[in-house]
Amino acid sequence: MSGSRGKGGAAAILAAALSFFPACAVPAADDIPRKAAACVVCHGPGGNSTDPATPSLAAQPAQFISMQLYLFREGNRKDAQMTPIASDLSNAEMNELAAYFSRQKPAAPSHKTAPGNAAAGRRLAEQYHCVQCHGPALLGLQHIPRLAGQRFAYLKTQLRGFKAGTRFDMDGNMTSAAQPLSDADIEVLADYLAGMK
Amino acid sequence: MYAVVERGGKREVKTVLKGLDAPNGVAFSKGTLYVAERHRITRYDGIEDRLDNAPDAKVVIDNLDPTKQPGHFWKFLALGPDGKLYFNIGAPGNIVMPSYMEASIMRVHPSKGILENVALGVRNSVGFDWHPQTKQLWFTEHGRDWLGDDLPSDELNVVKRKGEHFGYPFCHQGDTLDPEYGKNRSCSEFTPPVLNLGAHVAPIGMRFYTGKMFPAEYRNNIFIARRGSWNRTIKQGYDVFRVRLNEEGKVLKAEPFLTGFLVDEKADPPMWGRPADVMVMRDGSLLVSDDHNGIIYRVSYGTK
Repeated sequence: MSGSRGKGGAAAILAAALSFFPACAVPAADDIPRKAAACVVCHGPGGNSTDPATPSLAAQPAQFISMQLYLFREGNRKDAQMTPIASDLSNAEMNELAAYFSRQKPAAPSHKTAPGNAAAGRRLAEQYHCVQCHGPALLGLQHIPRLAGQRFAYLKTQLRGFKAGTRFDMDGNMTSAAQPLSDADIEVLADYLAGMK
Repeated sequence: MYAVVERGGKREVKTVLKGLDAPNGVAFSKGTLYVAERHRITRYDGIEDRLDNAPDAKVVIDNLDPTKQPGHFWKFLALGPDGKLYFNIGAPGNIVMPSYMEASIMRVHPSKGILENVALGVRNSVGFDWHPQTKQLWFTEHGRDWLGDDLPSDELNVVKRKGEHFGYPFCHQGDTLDPEYGKNRSCSEFTPPVLNLGAHVAPIGMRFYTGKMFPAEYRNNIFIARRGSWNRTIKQGYDVFRVRLNEEGKVLKAEPFLTGFLVDEKADPPMWGRPADVMVMRDGSLLVSDDHNGIIYRVSYGTK
């Protein structure tokens, strides 16, 4: 934990950062992919984001992370930060980063769901089919992301993007799912999901 | 767009074209390469002599994606026995009312650019082939999501009449009306599938077996890559499926042919590989692409 096992500066910094989050499982320093150092600057130590607009990566399905990196690199999904970062990643590096972040323990959510929204949000998640693809506990699988405990502002941005048809969508399912949602529904749904463990 | 070439026994991968938009469809005939992007189909004549210096694209047809549809915009492309280019335009989402040109299989004349509807009510087909004897078009189709683990089944269809309607979004798997769009409709209005392939199995590439390496009973069988379900509690598919037909093209038997990709039907991920397409080689062997691992396998027939 002291960072003395870190082989490079980046790994040592990461290990030091992790030490402030005792709840995190800290992997052996040499398990941390070199390029993960750049990810955790925004996505947080161990992929647990503390920035409202930046998604958490911890415990996301590996295939989901790889695929998003791939979509950023190929220009299907576009983002001012992510596009340049993904542009020089190899497939092997993407898989390595994905495997690493998928292994990390998710931190307890800092977001507190408003009273009443837990039940209302659950109803919306069932009514609008979220649970059919993201799983009953919203933990994601394969290429489908985990929503439980995701950042509140990020969830809203994505849902609004899908609703507006501006967010890249591989098969149109998310656009179909988001279009019947009202702005108020998005608020309640994101509030529910962001507070989930 | 890549070309794999051999020079003096050495294999080389050349990048022939760059900057394409979702170039999923590739066809090659008489020296011309055809490419289907999400919005257009282009041709590159005499491409084999120009691998390092590809000619400019000649547009066969453009404006295939006027609304920038949010899903199912990847196009499969194949040359039919009539010399026309066949391709799909998927439904723009899971379950939506398609426009007049969406949820279809279309064909276009490669030099004249004349566009025709071949099949309608096709949610999304990314694999088709022609029966070697009847010359009828057979295609796989992905069914809608969100109706549960077992509904509806993905389909294998055959086009007997140009412009036939296969049901989407009104009727699924030949006998199930859509809970929303099926109101006041009847499944008898639409052409039912020849075979239901299983719910959420995601049938992609399909080819008739025309080779001579496998025993005679494989002749004109269909091989289908079932990429595998995710939208289902217990996973299924993840195999190459074999469909046997009789002389009239009726289905006799359907069974998994190449298995082992699915390891644990309840795990996440449940598989180590995902078959995406199949292709019969000149020597009669079968190529199977696995897009999860980025590998192409070759299946040959032999005795132990």
